[in-house]
Amino acid sequence: MMDILQDIKYVIFYPSFFVMIIFPGLIAGGLFVLFAIWFERKIAARVQMRVGPYYVSRFGGIAQLLADAIRVALQEIIIPAGVNPTLYVIAPIFPLLFAFLPLAFLPIGVIPEQGSVFSAYYHSFFDPGVNMGVIAALPTEYSLIAVLAVEAAYPIFIILQAWATNNRFALVGAVREAYLSVAYDVLILMSVIATAVEYHTLDVAKVVQSGIPGIVANPLAAFVFFVGLIMATSRFPFEIVEAESELVTGPATEYSGLLFLLAMGGSYFGTYVYALYFAAVFLGGWYPLSGFPGAVILFLKAAVIVLFSVFLRSVYGRYRIDQALRNSWRLLLPVALASIVLGIVGGWLWIR
Amino acid sequence: MDQVKIREYDKNKNPFRLFGAHVAAVGEGIKHAIKPKTITLRYPDVSMTLPTNYRGMIRLYKDVCIGCSLCAMICPADAMKMTTWEGKKLPQINYGRCVFCGFCVDVCPVDALRETRVHDAAFQSRRELVFNPDKFNQDFDQTLPVKGTVRKVRAVIDENKGIRYVPDE
Repeated sequence: MMDILQDIKYVIFYPSFFVMIIFPGLIAGGLFVLFAIWFERKIAARVQMRVGPYYVSRFGGIAQLLADAIRVALQEIIIPAGVNPTLYVIAPIFPLLFAFLPLAFLPIGVIPEQGSVFSAYYHSFFDPGVNMGVIAALPTEYSLIAVLAVEAAYPIFIILQAWATNNRFALVGAVREAYLSVAYDVLILMSVIATAVEYHTLDVAKVVQSGIPGIVANPLAAFVFFVGLIMATSRFPFEIVEAESELVTGPATEYSGLLFLLAMGGSYFGTYVYALYFAAVFLGGWYPLSGFPGAVILFLKAAVIVLFSVFLRSVYGRYRIDQALRNSWRLLLPVALASIVLGIVGGWLWIR
Repeated sequence: MDQVKIREYDKNKNPFRLFGAHVAAVGEGIKHAIKPKTITLRYPDVSMTLPTNYRGMIRLYKDVCIGCSLCAMICPADAMKMTTWEGKKLPQINYGRCVFCGFCVDVCPVDALRETRVHDAAFQSRRELVFNPDKFNQDFDQTLPVKGTVRKVRAVIDENKGIRYVPDE
């Protein structure tokens, strides 16, 4: 009997399963995304002198989003005439998948040799860069780049989704996404290159274990990455792709029911995963803790980033597409270049 | 294709001042989020005492009415109609049509129609929206489906906030 319990415990806490499914993966991530959408509505209401969700549950209508999610999930799925039904149904799954998949490469903590619930996996998840085990679904020494490499496929599937729905609003949204994706990917990659140069590594775990948060070592890179994060996941003021007042909901216009949830969930999951990455690279991640408490610290830091980025909805209007592109190329690209210079200088003089 | 020229306002060309403006905007948002100036009334739980000249539902004073039918003639929405009620010509009103313009109240030569302060009502069917002279002769009263007591508030002008609610009675 105890053996079976031990086996179940071994399987549940096996990092590949634990990270992707339980924490901070699907279950914790899904609940947190619902909380973030509730927070978005509530905080926007407070700033705009309204009340927001109020009646569902005692505490500020916090169950409103759960109720909405169940309602939307049970609605009829309408497949328009003149689309390829197979493509139409699988298209919204891919953006969600590719928003979520990068989590596989992201270490969310380190495993000490003894004393942690994860210590049993010390040897199979050993990372020679930090000389410790890492809690990651797929431990790699190139996690800094691998996360971005997978996440970069996201806009392609947004375009596929718009193409599959055969709707003009969706196509306009997809073209805007194509324009923007070039702008934000350059910013994000340049800020990450600056960090990689400064820390002499491509391993997120090594960046965190150095003990210096990226925002202290290279504030310019952190700022550029944060703006890129907001752009990449279409939060205000760069909510140009889904622009409600212009394009209905952009690429998700034709979807209803469960497919609508999947189509809209992609950008929120993207924000969440990017925020975890940002918290690990620029906000010191789990340092100085290890094991599960460290992962919780990382999650809380990421939560603050997500909640701040959804809070921006109540502050900003929406940039036009040309304004967003001009700002990113003319104002933020020089900052990104400066961050690379700062990274070279910092890596040469300060961080060994 | 013609070139579309978009005119931009020349402000904040200096990127440092632009950054400062963004920080100021986010700071203002955080200030409002921490200390909200909510003006929405939580309506069924909290109800506003309306001013005495509020144009709410109309009531008839049957004994005063002389049956001149001016109200029915002036009504722009055809809500008011004359009926014979217990041997006397009296108006009846259809609230499904009424636009609450108050012309009937203004035109009445003997002040037999008055506006009340009631504006919140719900009906089961459209037939109930038609008030015959007997029903029209009473003050309309409908209890709201609220647990506990309804708090009454009054709106006062506040120089900082615009509108502020103070408890009434």
